[in-house]
Amino acid sequence: MNPAAILDHQFRVAAYVISWGIQLGYLGWLAAKWRAQKQDAARNRRDGEKAALRAGQ
Amino acid sequence: MKKTIFTLYAAITVALMIWGYYQAIYVAPTDALQGEIFRIIFYHVPLFIGAFLFFAISLCGSIGFLAFRRTHPEWAQSADAWALAGAEVGVVFCSNALILGSMWGRRAWGIWWTWDARLTTTLILWLIYVSYLLMRRFAAGPQVQTLAAVLGIFGALDIPIVYMSNRWFRTQHPAPVFGGDPGSGMDKSMLVPFGWNVMAWLAWGILLLILRHHVERQNQKFAEDEAAESLNASN
Repeated sequence: MNPAAILDHQFRVAAYVISWGIQLGYLGWLAAKWRAQKQDAARNRRDGEKAALRAGQ
Repeated sequence: MKKTIFTLYAAITVALMIWGYYQAIYVAPTDALQGEIFRIIFYHVPLFIGAFLFFAISLCGSIGFLAFRRTHPEWAQSADAWALAGAEVGVVFCSNALILGSMWGRRAWGIWWTWDARLTTTLILWLIYVSYLLMRRFAAGPQVQTLAAVLGIFGALDIPIVYMSNRWFRTQHPAPVFGGDPGSGMDKSMLVPFGWNVMAWLAWGILLLILRHHVERQNQKFAEDEAAESLNASN
């Protein structure tokens, strides 16, 4: 294999790896954001229930 | 039910991506002139097609927001979420495609970047949508959505300019492979793998778009709940 072909192969591999890094990184960021939202929603619900209980006492 | 459909769609998308990769690496022949580096086309062009599609979705969402914001606030909020999701996924796709283009250019032309018509108009498109996202992230106040919608509409005007740039100006970037001069096009042995990769990347992008829209709708609901709670507390 000549050096130019080896370099082409390395560039192609790097391009594909970078693409998947970017795409999966974004998916991971979205998943983290979604998870944080779910936790916030659960906390708000618990706080609301506590406040309702206090108001009833 | 919705969750099952989404899971099924995600599974089909992953299968398509794996199939697309197989087609790009093992089925498509090595280009006679450029060698293996040409295989970047199976990611580079579908990513740009995706970016254009998602910016167009952002445009539709922006128009929808402006059209419905007074008459149907709920529709307007959903349209705004589509506008944001389209812009964000479009920026991810456009950034990725620009990086791949730069790597391809380094091997094919010997340079990472040049101020050619196609590259420059694409960079401007990318900058417009990055500024759109920065505005949405850092600006505050009731007019942010309206201003973002206006920017989204004007930003989309650059899409046809990017598309036409290498037809109007013959500079460094190659002439269009599809829809170009007579004799342009791709051999069938490469066209089939290319088609699979376009399908796979669009399916992937739509998956991200749906997720981003869902997250933004949840954000809007939390913001509405918080506003209602503040109102109740002050009364």
